[in-house]
Amino acid sequence: MKISLNWLKDYIDLEGISSSEIISKLTNAGLEVEDYVDQSSIYKAFIVGFVKDKKEHPNADRLSLCTVFDGKDDLQVVCGAPNVEAGQKVVFAPVGTLIPKGNFIIGKAKIRGTESNGMICAEDELELSDNHDGIMILDSGLEAGTSIIKALELNDTILEIGITPNRSDALSHIGVARDIAAIFGRKVKTPKIKAGKSTNDVKKSASVVIEDTINCPRYSAKVVRNITIKESPTWLKNKLTKIGLRPRNNVVDITNFIMHECGQPLHAFDLDQLAGKKIIIRSTKEDSKFTTLDSKERKLPVGSLMICDAEKPVAVAGVMGGENSEISDSTKNVLIESAYFNPSSIRKTAKAMGLSTDASYRFERGTDPSNTVYAAERTANLIAELAGGEILGGVLDVYPKKIKEKKIKLRYSRVEKILGYVVPEKSIISILRKLGIEIVDEIKDGINVTVPTYRPDIEREIDLIEEIARIYGYDEIPAVSRISITLGEKKDASAFADKIRQAANALGFYEMINNPLQSEKLASISGNPISLKNPLSLDMQCLRTSLLTGALNVVSQNIKYGERNLLLFEIGDAFNKNNDRKIKGFKDFTENQKIILVLTGNYLQNEWNQDEKASDIYTLKGLLKSFERKILLDNVLNDSYYHSEETEFDLQITKKFGKKVIGQGGSVKNDVLKQFDIDQEVYCFEFDLEELSKIKIKDRTYSEPLRFPKVIRDFAFTFDKSVKFGEVQEFILSEGSATLKSVNLFDLFEDESLGDDKKSLAFTLEFYSSERTLTEDEVEKEFNKLIMAVTNKFKAKLRGN
Amino acid sequence: MLEEKIKHISDSFNSDFQTIDNLDKLEEFRIKYFSRNGLIASLFDELKNVPKEQKPALGKTLNLFRNNVQSEFNSLKAKIESNTSAKESKVDISLPGNPRQIGSRHLLTQTLDEIKSIFKGLGFSVSEGPELESDYYNFEALNFAPDHPARDMQDTFFVNDDFLLRTHTSPVQVRLMESQKPPVRAIMPGRVYRNEAVSARSYCMFHQVEGLYVDTDVTFAELKGTLVSFAKQFYGEDLKYRFRASYFPFTEPSAEMDITCYLCHGKGCKVCKHTGWLEILGCGMVDPNVFKHVGYDPEKYTGYAFGMGIERTAMLKYGIEDIRVFFENDLRFLKQF
Repeated sequence: MKISLNWLKDYIDLEGISSSEIISKLTNAGLEVEDYVDQSSIYKAFIVGFVKDKKEHPNADRLSLCTVFDGKDDLQVVCGAPNVEAGQKVVFAPVGTLIPKGNFIIGKAKIRGTESNGMICAEDELELSDNHDGIMILDSGLEAGTSIIKALELNDTILEIGITPNRSDALSHIGVARDIAAIFGRKVKTPKIKAGKSTNDVKKSASVVIEDTINCPRYSAKVVRNITIKESPTWLKNKLTKIGLRPRNNVVDITNFIMHECGQPLHAFDLDQLAGKKIIIRSTKEDSKFTTLDSKERKLPVGSLMICDAEKPVAVAGVMGGENSEISDSTKNVLIESAYFNPSSIRKTAKAMGLSTDASYRFERGTDPSNTVYAAERTANLIAELAGGEILGGVLDVYPKKIKEKKIKLRYSRVEKILGYVVPEKSIISILRKLGIEIVDEIKDGINVTVPTYRPDIEREIDLIEEIARIYGYDEIPAVSRISITLGEKKDASAFADKIRQAANALGFYEMINNPLQSEKLASISGNPISLKNPLSLDMQCLRTSLLTGALNVVSQNIKYGERNLLLFEIGDAFNKNNDRKIKGFKDFTENQKIILVLTGNYLQNEWNQDEKASDIYTLKGLLKSFERKILLDNVLNDSYYHSEETEFDLQITKKFGKKVIGQGGSVKNDVLKQFDIDQEVYCFEFDLEELSKIKIKDRTYSEPLRFPKVIRDFAFTFDKSVKFGEVQEFILSEGSATLKSVNLFDLFEDESLGDDKKSLAFTLEFYSSERTLTEDEVEKEFNKLIMAVTNKFKAKLRGN
Repeated sequence: MLEEKIKHISDSFNSDFQTIDNLDKLEEFRIKYFSRNGLIASLFDELKNVPKEQKPALGKTLNLFRNNVQSEFNSLKAKIESNTSAKESKVDISLPGNPRQIGSRHLLTQTLDEIKSIFKGLGFSVSEGPELESDYYNFEALNFAPDHPARDMQDTFFVNDDFLLRTHTSPVQVRLMESQKPPVRAIMPGRVYRNEAVSARSYCMFHQVEGLYVDTDVTFAELKGTLVSFAKQFYGEDLKYRFRASYFPFTEPSAEMDITCYLCHGKGCKVCKHTGWLEILGCGMVDPNVFKHVGYDPEKYTGYAFGMGIERTAMLKYGIEDIRVFFENDLRFLKQF
């Protein structure tokens, strides 16, 4: 919200307070000044120019060649605006002026071959508004050469204040003035209402009926007759322009001005367009359509609060007026609406319409129900002053159930308990009074207070404590330098993931973090996705069902950047529906933390003393083995290699703990890779971290290194190609005695000499005992027994000897 | 006799010594004088044949001689070895080594780890909660009324009317308090989502870390002290800070903490929007309504909560201007940290 410091001075004396002090103190008190513009420094070089003459530019249809008088000289200026005419007073930027929009300095220039000495400016170039319809045309009475700071009253500082949703009271100049007054100990003066002299009672010209008193607790109105709609005076236009509003006509400008003065949104109806000169406030009983004053037909849900006349709706209450009753150039008589609406009703309607207006913004945050009559009268006063006419006597004010000021008890001991610091009682009382909070009586350890209706956010003792703290100053509350904490069990829910992350790092994997939102197509690849009701785009409609698709996306991107050799991992949640019903509870979906390990391209790079080696399924298997070892789960998980068409993997590895599947992976199928535009093999594996973390790691104990020698024996067999290494290994281990400790493959050989469907596998067997030295004899015996067993079992042929 | 021999070998040692100018000659020289059958060893052999009464004196002389020549040889050896260019050596040590690929944690993880370790040092536990949350935990239990504009502070992705992607990590506060009695002292890191257009300054998903402390005598002054301690450990001892009033539905009083801009040191620049200050976190005293939702007695217990964005923190600390780089996972970015 924009606040003009000069405008503020209408309500509070700021003498002796610098603008930087106001900025920092307001910010500290919760009205954060997000940005500010010191207009007098920005606009010091701009002057009023007089367009003496306008000709067509010789070389360009859309440009004009103007002669601008700057108070001393006639200057030739090229202008591109469609609305420039001889005789106008304009905002002129002489050569050397810094133009706010685009932050550039106007130089002497040749435009299409013609010299131009300065620039005639539009509002947006000055950053006074977004308007770029044409150049700004100034009051013809202004003298050429006058600084525009003087001409447009720009000796001002404009604050951009971020008002938090609780501070509806501060959405106006008087509202901000009230906080400044409390901070600096000054007084707010509100403009006085001049009593009307009319003997014509307003009640004879119009009437108000509230049918829905829940959503419209109060409706006040004034009527002004025989007015003249015209342009607003310069002072009013300047005020509105400065806070970013576009002047329209005197009545509309006045309602905007009063809203920004005191925070009460107002609406002016053309009284002659109101059937029966009647206002009825009711909520719609069914879905309906209504054309608002911006000429758009809008859908309204059932229960929308409407302002109606005797026959039809004329405005969406608190949001926007209707086209059928808006002020036109020929309007003579106006009814000024100044109401208090139920905030949540306005919010619902505005949300359903997808519309947020200055009025709805204020109503849905809560306006002051006690201020409606004042605002209506102030508006009527100003209309009579600027548009002529007669203010009818009295006021239409329907207020069936008065909204009372809240009474709250404040305990001094509670202030100290919350803040950890004693704020003197005197200061507490003085701060609350400065905020307009009335001290009703003093009680033991505290006070009873009543809160003005413009502060709907103050409802409880704790809210008063916040008011005290923010005006007293958060910086005044000391930061303690020692704390005492309870000694107790300290848990770290992220510890397991951290351990996993370390293991992945140690194996050379880089961590990635992906956006879990993805297209339905991607999310459907590996699960049953949950979709969003209001996604940002179709690309981000669903939650990922596994980490695979995000990872493949990263692989694809990196390959495009020329990084083809990748070791990546991610730890994150994947989301799956458990059934096809609507999600009603946490049982209807699962959110599981996972880790995915991805490798692609070369595992070893080509170097002067080393050949490159592409990652393959065995690289993946080996890395997984090291990974398991690193997290102390070696020899705990079982691998299986069955193939299932349903997964995204060709060579598929499944890891189980007991019967529970803990993870799955392999080489990604080509048709999946194609979807990501990836032209090289990708291997990956995804573990369910929650399942992994549940596996209890056995307490580790020391085991003495072997004291007795190992006996190593090798043998090689020719097998049918269909025989799997894993089967042979398992068989040998099961056939061997307790002294056979390991069976490892040391060579795989395939050659024509063996026969087309044959292969040779060579094994190393390790025999030892931790209790004694094995004799050559017993090992030899067992070794021979194993040779026989393998030969028979697999129809294999011993090679070599 | 032996004395003469020593003199003789000493002379030849000195003259040979002058000629050594490369590693090969050095090795030749070493074998001639210092090997097991070398000249110096032969002198010691002869010492055996010397009459008994001369042995101590001659032994001493011989030892002295050996020590001298040995140390001369050693220093020459060191000199030659260091002067010997790689070309002359048999191994070209200047050839590149074979690096082992090392991975890294994502910069956001590194930033979070740093924050975590500071708060763990201050006695905080670490808790987590789900990203797909119910409206109750994300809003209602945190004192966001159903039709209150405060909900607009956090543009929300909805799955349906009751379920949504959490907009902050604060629901973990509620879950934690529901699961235990005070004292509660924990930080809660996690991923959050906002329905905001993606740009250099904002992304539809980011990470937060939230903190909560509830006990019988927790005060705003302690909140300030704790956060100042954190900020000094994280951003540096000499920082200046301020606390200013703000609004969050689940805390009252609420505040935001600013530190002096690291770029301009408070003078005002583009990064701090000419204010000289950078906002680093939001905080406040837990609102009594939140305590009511979790069944804590607000008269008995008080508490504080705080929260900060990890992306923002990392962007401030490492000078990153575009939030999107965190989620592109360009290896060239990942390798930088």
